[in-house]
Amino acid sequence: MKLAALLTLLVAATASAQTFDTPPPPAAPRPLTIAAPVEQVLANGLRVIVAPRDGVPLVTAMLVVLSGSELDPPQLSGLASMTAGLLTQGTRRRTGPEIAAAAEALGGTLDSGAGWGQSLVSITVTTPRLGAALGLVAEVAREPTFAPAELDRLRKQTLDALKVSYADPGTMASLTAARLAYGSGAWGHPASGTPASLPRIRQADLVALHRATFRPDRAVLILAGDIGAERGVALANAHFGSWAPAAGVAAPLPPAPPTLAPGGPTVAIVDMPAAGQAGVVLALPLPPRQGAERAAADVLDAVLGGGYSSRLSQEVRIKRGLSYAVYSRIEPRGKSGLFQAALQTKNESTAEVVSLLQAEIDRIMQAPVAADELASRKLSLIGGFSRTVETTAGLASAIRSLVTTERSPAELKTRIATIEAVGPADVQRYAAAHFGAAGRRLAIAGVADRFAGALRAEAPGLVVVAQPQLDLERAEGLRRE
Amino acid sequence: MTLSRLATFALAFAALASAALPGPAHAAAASSAGATASASATDTLQVPRIAYRQRKLANGLTVLSVESHGSPTVSVQVWYHVGGADDPEGKSGFAHLFEHIMFKGSKHMKSEQFDRLTEDVGGENNASTTEDVTAYQAVVPSNHLETLLWAEAERLANLRVDEANFHSERAVVQEEYRQRILASPYGLFFETVSTRPYLRHPYRRGVIGSIENLDAASVTDVVAFHDTYYRPDNATLIVTGDFEPRQLDAWVDKYFGPIARPQAPMPPRQTAEPAWTADRTITVKAPNVPLPAVATVWLAPPVTDADAPALQVAAALLSAGESSRLNQALVYRQQIATQASFSTDLRAGPGLLIASAIAAGGKSPAAVRSALLAEVKRLASRPASRAELDKVKTLLLTAAFSTRQTPLGLAAAIGDAAVLGGNPERVNTDLDDLRRVSAADVQRVLRRYVTGAHSVALDYLAEGSTQ
Repeated sequence: MKLAALLTLLVAATASAQTFDTPPPPAAPRPLTIAAPVEQVLANGLRVIVAPRDGVPLVTAMLVVLSGSELDPPQLSGLASMTAGLLTQGTRRRTGPEIAAAAEALGGTLDSGAGWGQSLVSITVTTPRLGAALGLVAEVAREPTFAPAELDRLRKQTLDALKVSYADPGTMASLTAARLAYGSGAWGHPASGTPASLPRIRQADLVALHRATFRPDRAVLILAGDIGAERGVALANAHFGSWAPAAGVAAPLPPAPPTLAPGGPTVAIVDMPAAGQAGVVLALPLPPRQGAERAAADVLDAVLGGGYSSRLSQEVRIKRGLSYAVYSRIEPRGKSGLFQAALQTKNESTAEVVSLLQAEIDRIMQAPVAADELASRKLSLIGGFSRTVETTAGLASAIRSLVTTERSPAELKTRIATIEAVGPADVQRYAAAHFGAAGRRLAIAGVADRFAGALRAEAPGLVVVAQPQLDLERAEGLRRE
Repeated sequence: MTLSRLATFALAFAALASAALPGPAHAAAASSAGATASASATDTLQVPRIAYRQRKLANGLTVLSVESHGSPTVSVQVWYHVGGADDPEGKSGFAHLFEHIMFKGSKHMKSEQFDRLTEDVGGENNASTTEDVTAYQAVVPSNHLETLLWAEAERLANLRVDEANFHSERAVVQEEYRQRILASPYGLFFETVSTRPYLRHPYRRGVIGSIENLDAASVTDVVAFHDTYYRPDNATLIVTGDFEPRQLDAWVDKYFGPIARPQAPMPPRQTAEPAWTADRTITVKAPNVPLPAVATVWLAPPVTDADAPALQVAAALLSAGESSRLNQALVYRQQIATQASFSTDLRAGPGLLIASAIAAGGKSPAAVRSALLAEVKRLASRPASRAELDKVKTLLLTAAFSTRQTPLGLAAAIGDAAVLGGNPERVNTDLDDLRRVSAADVQRVLRRYVTGAHSVALDYLAEGSTQ
């Protein structure tokens, strides 16, 4: 490195013109204040949360039902996702194309979908169109028909989309990592379904799930943007006030929180001989988190893989040029979460990046994060949060993240202070408690020939599955050599 | 094609996004060009005029700014009028590699210090390279504005890079190539579509280049490229958000004012593309093609041409939103494609009009192309209704509102207008122009540039396929 530094070249002909050789210091900060959203519960139990934001005449409306893919029955992966997807494809009053045309005439796109702990419908429109947009959201949530022809159409489209996803090594590694982590339980299957499960889904399954889960006392309506609390609640009453649960159907109980799958392999390779890179995902199931512990986990995630200057990015990208992008995140599964560090690299570099990922997780367990590094990672995390709530859609999503993890929307206001309070000992304690080698699961999708040998030395129990034979419908799909 | 220094979270976690949960990115997938409406239902949707301030320093630097105090943040962006079309011969991908190198140190900044001044204080930075422009885009808490202005001036004036940093960053860009082009199932398809149709224009080389061309680049090339293109009279500084105008002007004068304008003129870009005088076909076979894809491509006028707004409205009618014509015909009714689009890839020079689709399982590329072209011809031959025109203009307008909510998006809209479009006022007039587009305009431009012009048909097939 020193020799290289001597070879440094002066680039610009104009170099001598710049005479200010140290950066000027920042001025006094102007703190961001985020108002706590206003919440009111309608007579039918629907929670209405209004988060006003001035400046632009836009509102995001989001109806969130507090259950999703964790309710998919065994053998029916993708049921919640198909149910939510079909909401916009036909109601008692309109066909799918008519719904899309009506929404888009308002300037927005009516999105619907399901994930872990949530099913939702959302749209962003200019303020004068909010009433009409809410009418559409209410119509698709309350009166979907789930016509068999529409089910067949969406099923075919989803199966084709899976063909594309399964050709992507990053996607393959991520789906496989979740199965490794959670095994056969309610939280380990692919939320978007599998080639085996989708053909099994029948109209009656969709209707039954919708009747049981789309009910006002298990739903939250979020309105974020150019809207006041009073008008927001009035609009909610107008469009959802008469909404009642389906007669004689109880809301389903949520499954037990996800836990690490006992037994089974800890390292799996999905062999994709045509893959142009290897996708690598290291996953770690985290137990339910709350309060200060949740913030410590978020800061830990930021230090390891949040943003360009994180430790993983330093080691893998900046120092060694082994990947274009390496990130980590904690994907919520109810109050629990699945930590995932993910990257893509040339097939030949796979074993090297796996060692680097493991070493960085070891390091954060063993030594406290230095004060300046911790301070910068916390500011980076706070900055990301602050920018998210700059848009109406981001603000609505931030509130959605709170309600789907059983937190109060008021945490929007305290989020920054909670992160600021995390110290190095908190991070190390959380890492030591939850990031041990026993919980780590590793999934790699790529050209197995080029790295399986090197990995086997490190992980003798690894399994190799050819991609066409991989069955993500069952954890046992990962158990054959 | 736009390449960025940093992958977005969505790209890094494409896998997780496929779990069917819609995100804000799905809302109004239409282009950020923006539009307002014609006389009827869309009258209430006027996008307010952006009242930007414009200055020009003696050294040629253009400075554009918009003050707003909605959040205590400020976006600082520097756009250079240089892109992939200016890559040195035999070194395709260089302008984009150079963009990465701009973060690897200068006389008074260590490698990655730019990240210390942005990410580490709660801001963010990214940079992107297209065929025509390179944009450096940062957002910081507004009390860091002066520091950022210093840093941008510093790397414009004093870039330095050592061999070790150059080589490690070149390896990163090669991994970016592998991720985008080789690993992503349709990466090679879209790269081919946006390059190979050109007969002679440098756009034929693309932005990402190739592993071999990147290997051919050296630190000496970095020096020469910076000398040639990174100069104040080829740069536009854009500042939006929470600042005081007089304070901004003083800092800009202090840090950017002393940078000298080089004597040498900017080298001209080779820009000729001969007229396409025959239809051509290109077949690409690749190892990782889950479903065949097809594209038909025509030459578009430059982004500044008077016909550009009508082409953008035509593209929106064909493929903005679920209710668009291509989605309804090919994906919904005929179920012949998994996705279908018509895009206007408008550039400083001749751009491309691209109709493309990915086949549904079991459908032949020929049948998909035929269905795709039938919809394009239908729009050229029969006028769209007033309601349909209103719909797409409202979609485009709402997308413009969304984009301009943040200092980052607002500055980017101004940068596009000023640097790619050649005049910052376009950030306002482009929307007026879109509002004025009539159904007859749409038919006229489709007949001129599409149904009455020669095209390149591209098939993207799995290796070993006999189709």
